[in-house]
Amino acid sequence: MNSLTKEADVPAPRDADETSAFLSVRDLYVHFDTEDGTVKAVDGLSFDVERGRTLGIVGESGSGKSVTNLSILGLHNPRTTDVSGKILLDGQELTGAREKTLESLRGNKMAMIFQDALTALSPYYTIGRQIAEPYRKHMGVSKREAHLRAVEMLDKVGIPNPKTRVHDYPHQFSGGMRQRAMIAMALVCNPDLLIADEPTTALDVTVQAQILDLLKDLQQEFGSAIVFITHDLGVIANVADDILVMYGGRAVERGTVGEVLRSPEHPYTWGLLTSMPRLTGDVNEELSPIHGTPPSLLSPPPGCPFHPRCGYQDEVAGRSCTGDRPLLPHGRGSACHLTAEQKRTFFIEQIKPRLG
Amino acid sequence: MLRFLIRRSLGAVVILLIISAVTFFLFYAVPRDPAMLACGKNCTPDALAVIRKNMGIDEPVPVQYWHFMVGIFAGRDFAAGACPAPCFGYSFANQDPVWQTILDRFPTTVSLTVGGAAVFLFIGLGAGMIAAWKKGTLVDKAFSSLSLVLSSMQIYFIGPLVLALVVYNLQLLDQPKYVPLTEDPAGWFMGLLIPWLVVQIIFTANYTRLSRSSMIEQLQEDHVKAARAKGMSGRYVFFRYAWRGSLIPIVTIFGVDLGSLFGGAMITEWTFSLPGLGTLAVKSVQNTDLPMVMGVMLFAATFIILFNIIVDAAYAFIDPRVRLS
Amino acid sequence: MRARRDRVVGGAATPYGISQAATDNRQAGADTTMSRVSIRTARASLAAVAAGALFLTGCSSGGGGGEDGKDAKAKKQGADVSYTFADEAASKGPAPEVEGGRKGGTIKVLQRDSFAHLDPAQIYVSDEGALATLIHRGLTTYKRTSGDKYEVVGDLATDSGKKSDGGKTWTYKLKDGIKFEDGSAITSKDVRHSIERMFAPFITEGPTFIQQWLANTGGTDYRKLLKDGPFKGKHLSDDVLETPDDKTVIFHFEEPQAELPYALAMQGYSVVSEKKDTKEKYDKDPLSTGPYKIASFKSGKNMKLVRNPEWDPKTDPKRHQYPDAFNIQFGVSFEDSTKRLTSDAGENQYATSFTNSVDASSMQKVRSDPEVKKRSVSGYQSYVSYMNINTDRIKNKKVRQAIAYAMPNQSIVSAFGGAGGGEMAGNYISPTLVGQKPTDPFNKLKKPQGDVKKAAKLLKESGKKGMKLTFAFQNAPEWQDFSVAATQNLEKAGFNVQKKDIIADTYYDQIGKAKNDYDIYHNSWGADWPSASTVIPNLFDGRQVQDGAANYSHHKNPKFEKEMDRIRKIENPNKAADEWMKLADKILVEDVPAVPMHYYKTIQISGSKIGGAYFDEQLHDIQPTSLYVKK
Repeated sequence: MNSLTKEADVPAPRDADETSAFLSVRDLYVHFDTEDGTVKAVDGLSFDVERGRTLGIVGESGSGKSVTNLSILGLHNPRTTDVSGKILLDGQELTGAREKTLESLRGNKMAMIFQDALTALSPYYTIGRQIAEPYRKHMGVSKREAHLRAVEMLDKVGIPNPKTRVHDYPHQFSGGMRQRAMIAMALVCNPDLLIADEPTTALDVTVQAQILDLLKDLQQEFGSAIVFITHDLGVIANVADDILVMYGGRAVERGTVGEVLRSPEHPYTWGLLTSMPRLTGDVNEELSPIHGTPPSLLSPPPGCPFHPRCGYQDEVAGRSCTGDRPLLPHGRGSACHLTAEQKRTFFIEQIKPRLG
Repeated sequence: MLRFLIRRSLGAVVILLIISAVTFFLFYAVPRDPAMLACGKNCTPDALAVIRKNMGIDEPVPVQYWHFMVGIFAGRDFAAGACPAPCFGYSFANQDPVWQTILDRFPTTVSLTVGGAAVFLFIGLGAGMIAAWKKGTLVDKAFSSLSLVLSSMQIYFIGPLVLALVVYNLQLLDQPKYVPLTEDPAGWFMGLLIPWLVVQIIFTANYTRLSRSSMIEQLQEDHVKAARAKGMSGRYVFFRYAWRGSLIPIVTIFGVDLGSLFGGAMITEWTFSLPGLGTLAVKSVQNTDLPMVMGVMLFAATFIILFNIIVDAAYAFIDPRVRLS
Repeated sequence: MRARRDRVVGGAATPYGISQAATDNRQAGADTTMSRVSIRTARASLAAVAAGALFLTGCSSGGGGGEDGKDAKAKKQGADVSYTFADEAASKGPAPEVEGGRKGGTIKVLQRDSFAHLDPAQIYVSDEGALATLIHRGLTTYKRTSGDKYEVVGDLATDSGKKSDGGKTWTYKLKDGIKFEDGSAITSKDVRHSIERMFAPFITEGPTFIQQWLANTGGTDYRKLLKDGPFKGKHLSDDVLETPDDKTVIFHFEEPQAELPYALAMQGYSVVSEKKDTKEKYDKDPLSTGPYKIASFKSGKNMKLVRNPEWDPKTDPKRHQYPDAFNIQFGVSFEDSTKRLTSDAGENQYATSFTNSVDASSMQKVRSDPEVKKRSVSGYQSYVSYMNINTDRIKNKKVRQAIAYAMPNQSIVSAFGGAGGGEMAGNYISPTLVGQKPTDPFNKLKKPQGDVKKAAKLLKESGKKGMKLTFAFQNAPEWQDFSVAATQNLEKAGFNVQKKDIIADTYYDQIGKAKNDYDIYHNSWGADWPSASTVIPNLFDGRQVQDGAANYSHHKNPKFEKEMDRIRKIENPNKAADEWMKLADKILVEDVPAVPMHYYKTIQISGSKIGGAYFDEQLHDIQPTSLYVKK
């Protein structure tokens, strides 16, 4: 996303190609060759993230969130994956960059926190070693220094007795501690970009909140840019500055947290919001999940990819929904054929009441 | 670890007792009389009775079994002299002391087994890793189909074939033979090269496939991805992260395969006329040579159990989760 | 007399191993006494299991009947085999040089079975017998003079023996310069000791003929003559065995023993040092008297023979000392040794085998490939196979004649690998025996597939058409193959055949029972020396019917038993041989207790660098003492 600021009146440089954003993704296509055909996992995606800000990417599974982030890190198998478009990190082109270059950036300038620390940490090496490993590699320090750094990081993420726990194996840690360790591992080199792929999904609510606070604190300390992937809008509201809603490998809506959550424009975003339980909501009121299933990425529906599941396509004149692919404007906006007026009206009249 | 060892050793003793009893009693279930064979020509019922007595097979089978088992731990006295523990008695066939004979034959079988295992682990794991690394490429497909072909081979088929080709026709190598490692390391190596290559054949293909699939599975693990995301190089992650994890199913199968590896070594000994425990076992069974049969059976079983314990200990070495739980 | 046979269990009592611990219990069965003949079958079945019968079908179908005519001629040549008991001149050393023979080199010897015995008194089987030609010497030995002419010559003795008193007394003089490997001279004391120790209880495996003759008893009663052997100070009295001086040995028998020179030529009667006799332990570490001595022996693995410098070629009419050493490797199966030697690759060029023969499945190839054939030697083993008819159960002679006519002898030869593995027999006597004549009273040679018509006619005449006939056979591949053809013929002839295949290991125990439930069953028997005196009485003397005895047909006929006793006393061995032949045919024609099936033959091969190889018709194997390494 562009450098949206909370003050919506400040015009942001919304022209994609002239961005000076820290991370800038332009027209990203990620296609996998499979035996059944080409899977279009990401199909023309653009967004920006600034230092010190957090972009939340939401969407159902299969919407292309994780694939996007793996492409930023360059972790796809080049033999079976076709990545095109531009990914600029601090002005440096990442698509098509040499593996060596990417390796020197990964874990250093950009790092990733995985969803499940239990599987993302190797069971065969101690926590300390796994944290120290990238530090040694990128900083070129001694084993001893790297070890001390690992202890320091564990301390920083709030692991008690870090000096002893540093020798433990992942399975000796509790779930929350593992996730902290995971974060410590990602932050060990003070990365400028942190990609967090559903980092709290596997945790219970109290631990979740602790981890989110931790991330916020660390962001303040290091000034990192964070890409936060989740399907949980509640979490997003807590951490993100900006939101990108993805559907079927494309962005369908974007805006600041306030914009997207308070006045969402896309029927899919509405669906996400209404399917989310609320503490203040009526217990007897039924949640309304989005009916239907996510689109096939092998042969996406023509026109608007959401139209088979959309309850508003009749409101659009002609056959636009099935025929034309709606475009997402730069900056605040949504990819939908409904008029701005319709979007506002439907939200206020039909959706908002259900959000309580 | 100590408790593990104690528990396993006790288990091993029980297994060995069962094996010894089954072998011993099965031996008498076969309608062959060792005394009759020893009696040879000019045999009469009187002579036969004396021989039975001398062999100790005139007593009830359970009593004989008891004497045999006691002999292993406490030694036995024979008319010709004392037989110190571990005493497995003397061969019915040629009076050679069983224990010494086994110790004499053991190095051949061990060389064959360990060498063969080294070869198939090296080739199998290596090929599997290369195939996994190059997954989907021509190399991968070539390795996969080759291993499919090889896995349908058998020692008694491939052994003579290799012999005919390499030794008889092309004359690249000499007739396989066993030279003690301590006497002539080069001779030991060259003499066993063909048997090793043959014994590994039935295993290598399986280990190639296993290593490949296990490696591919590991490469898709999150922790492997996470390691890459940390900036660790592809090779480093491949060997340090993925390979280590891929070893676990391989170690499991290796433990299971030990018995058949031993059996394979025995067939290989037979194929190449190598003086190991395999040829000794076959000869002894043919000769109705109970002490030798018992000795070889128990020795081989002990060997296999011991290696199984080592394999289990290897788990702990590879996977800290096993170590601590 | 007893003879080598498939599985030796029988005769009278010998308390084997009575004073022995379990350590001395000697296996003689499956491996050694079972002769190569049946061992080969055992091994072949193992190969069948291993190879999924892949190779076996080939072996059993390789008939090769077409070549029989040629071989039959060779056999007829063998028919005039005759032995001379040689005089002093013919017994002198050194042996004439082998053409091309040269000193040096090492011969590799591939053997299937390890040597179970090294003490000559315990040696009876062919494996150890072959080894013994290199390390042991006795009073007499066989020497090939030319082609298939052999004579019995003096070995340690100056001649083959001087008899007097109508064959009851035999005198031997020892040569000069004969020594044990430790350099001590061999004297008459050692010869006496060697004979006397064979009475000791720990000697259980060797021949018993001379002991029985000296004691003038049958069975094992001879042991009473010298219960502990010479080891407790007692000796045979001078009127039995006399050694008037260091050079003279005199045997005194109560009956004439015309065949003593043959008996003394058995390796079992080789000489053992009186001073260095270690009794039981001698079996693992004997003193050599031959051209080679044992440098090392690892039971089941290998043995190394090196030159014995104390052996003086001038004393030896037969042996040579060409190679520096023999390296004997044990545990090499017939299949393996055949492949190695056929390949002639690398070190196999310098290899041979004393007793491994070509495995049945490879015989045709060896016979048809000129390069391999050139390196092969072949000849008769001493064995003859017979189809016994249980005369207790089948008393009608016409039925027995019908069975005799029905047998397809060609089928058994085919089963044993064709002409290389055997030759059809027309009568009971092997072509290797003196006096053998190629008679064929039941047209076994003229009608190789059997004469079913005649069999049917005879059975009809007997009034037993359709009778049940229980046919037992060893479940080894050769006999299984044969049983199919034989059953077909018998059923065509009008028998109702019940086949009973018996596990190879227990086969001889089963058919050896004096009371058994089988009507016909095969066995194989070989002579101890080239006289039918070690065949006919064993097989057909009705006084020797008992459990485990070789008279498997339970044939009894006092007329013939009297005849056997008469022939035994004939002083001239060649004349006796003629009489045995006549008697054998008489038994066959008049009583039909067994049908002669085939004479076992064998082929052995050597590497291309091995010279001097010939098939010794007396050893029934390649002769080790003439081998040399070619340049």
